[in-house]
Amino acid sequence: MRRISESLLIGLSWLSTIGVVAGAGILVGYLIQRGLGTLSPELLFGDAPAWQAFIGRQPVWDGIWPAVVGTFSLVAISSIIAVPLGIAGGIYQAEYATEGWKAWSGFAIDLLAGLPSIVMGLFGFSLILFLRNSLMPAANTCLLLSSGCLALLVLPYLIRTTQTALEGITRDARVVGLSLGFTQWQNIVHVLLPSAGRGILSGVILAIGRSAEDTAVILLTGVVANSGLPRGIMDKYEALPFTIYYLAAEHRSVEELNRGFGAALVLLLLTSTLFLGAYWLRRTVERKWS
Amino acid sequence: MVVMQQEQNSAGIIEDLNVVFFGQRVLHNVHVRLKPHELAVIVGRSGSGKSTFLRSLNRLNECFPGCRTVGSVRLFLEDRWIDVYDSGFPAPRLRQRVAMVFQSPNVLPMSIERNVALPLRLVMGMSRSEAGHQVERALREAQLWDEVKDRLKQPAMTLSGGQQQRLCLARVLALEPQFLLLDEPTASLDFRASMKIEELLLRLKEKYTIVAVSHSLSQARRLADQIVVLKEGSVVQCLDAQDFERSATFQSLIEEIF
Repeated sequence: MRRISESLLIGLSWLSTIGVVAGAGILVGYLIQRGLGTLSPELLFGDAPAWQAFIGRQPVWDGIWPAVVGTFSLVAISSIIAVPLGIAGGIYQAEYATEGWKAWSGFAIDLLAGLPSIVMGLFGFSLILFLRNSLMPAANTCLLLSSGCLALLVLPYLIRTTQTALEGITRDARVVGLSLGFTQWQNIVHVLLPSAGRGILSGVILAIGRSAEDTAVILLTGVVANSGLPRGIMDKYEALPFTIYYLAAEHRSVEELNRGFGAALVLLLLTSTLFLGAYWLRRTVERKWS
Repeated sequence: MVVMQQEQNSAGIIEDLNVVFFGQRVLHNVHVRLKPHELAVIVGRSGSGKSTFLRSLNRLNECFPGCRTVGSVRLFLEDRWIDVYDSGFPAPRLRQRVAMVFQSPNVLPMSIERNVALPLRLVMGMSRSEAGHQVERALREAQLWDEVKDRLKQPAMTLSGGQQQRLCLARVLALEPQFLLLDEPTASLDFRASMKIEELLLRLKEKYTIVAVSHSLSQARRLADQIVVLKEGSVVQCLDAQDFERSATFQSLIEEIF
């Protein structure tokens, strides 16, 4: 009886793994099948000459290049805000917070992690309304506002993964640095953080993925269908998830819908590139450290 | 007057030392006197408080949760008597001067050279080139230099267990300590590697005052100038070299422990 249930369990875990891999394979395969044909300079730049449009000399009206730049800017700015804050928060939670306070702040972090992104969008939108009626009558939804809201959205993942990675370090490994006369801070920077590098990276990847794909937040905080390249962080912008949404929602022919798949493929490529970038950054830091 | 006499010819005086973890007493009124350039070996069953005693000398117990220490640990450091628990002497500097090597070699996951150089730069504020010289000196002192001089940039994890343990020793020797605390330094090593460490310790005690925990009475007999027997957190016997040369005393010691 025990052997049967054991084999069943093993079979089930194999099946789930195969299911995940197959699911991802089918999804990407379908995207490639529908979208690959549309991948061309024309999808990105429309009628505009590619190089001139790439460097922003020529406006792009009929391509997704502005949305690529918009999404990239969103991810970059929200990461610049959220990654240092998230890692610092994780360090505090794991190394400095007292047990009682840890429980309270941990609850707040979990609450933030469970917040639907549309609520975060609404928060950003109301913030602008408030600012317009009080301190800054000229305030408007923009790239910076969206990035700030996205940063807040991904912050709990970064804090939690950093905290978990740090707390997973064994008691003996924690004491090595201290026994050599390191101060607590030196021990964190030179021993604990590098040991937790992989865990922290997985948090960063999760954060990048989340801010690249989120549509609900940006919908209420500054994304538009057609604005060209963003001229600054206080400007409106285009973004790939939103482009995919309206290409799919308003298509009149199969070709137009396929352009939506093409845009999805570009989004996938963009996030993969960003993941690789994060991985490379960790490797470089690790090599420098050892 | 009594204090003066005690302090003469001593390197450390531990009195009424009590250590409690989460309300449970691990060390109970421990008195030990350490003599300079001697090797004291702490023996006792597992759970008798040997490691806790060692860690109380450089305040490393504080790094573990739920610890409370009462009593006096006075060590002769930097040409004066320091009350470890009551003098404001900073803990990081104390741990540099009263250095510890652990039971299983715990090299940092970086290159051989950097394992020694990083503490030098962080703790002693040395420049890269100063640290380089000190690394070589320490590796020579731990008798590891000839084995690693051509592979300093390789990960320390690629060394054998015995070599890793000597690297850990080199790492603390580089920091110019005055005391060495060794927590069963040969427990995870084979016979030959253990012998090599033992030879090294006998040479090192000319320069440092050493306190070692050992699980082996024969090892204690080979190395010790003083044997301190711990049982359930209390010192039950303190023997010096002449005592344990006499086989009757040694026999009673064996019965005491096992």
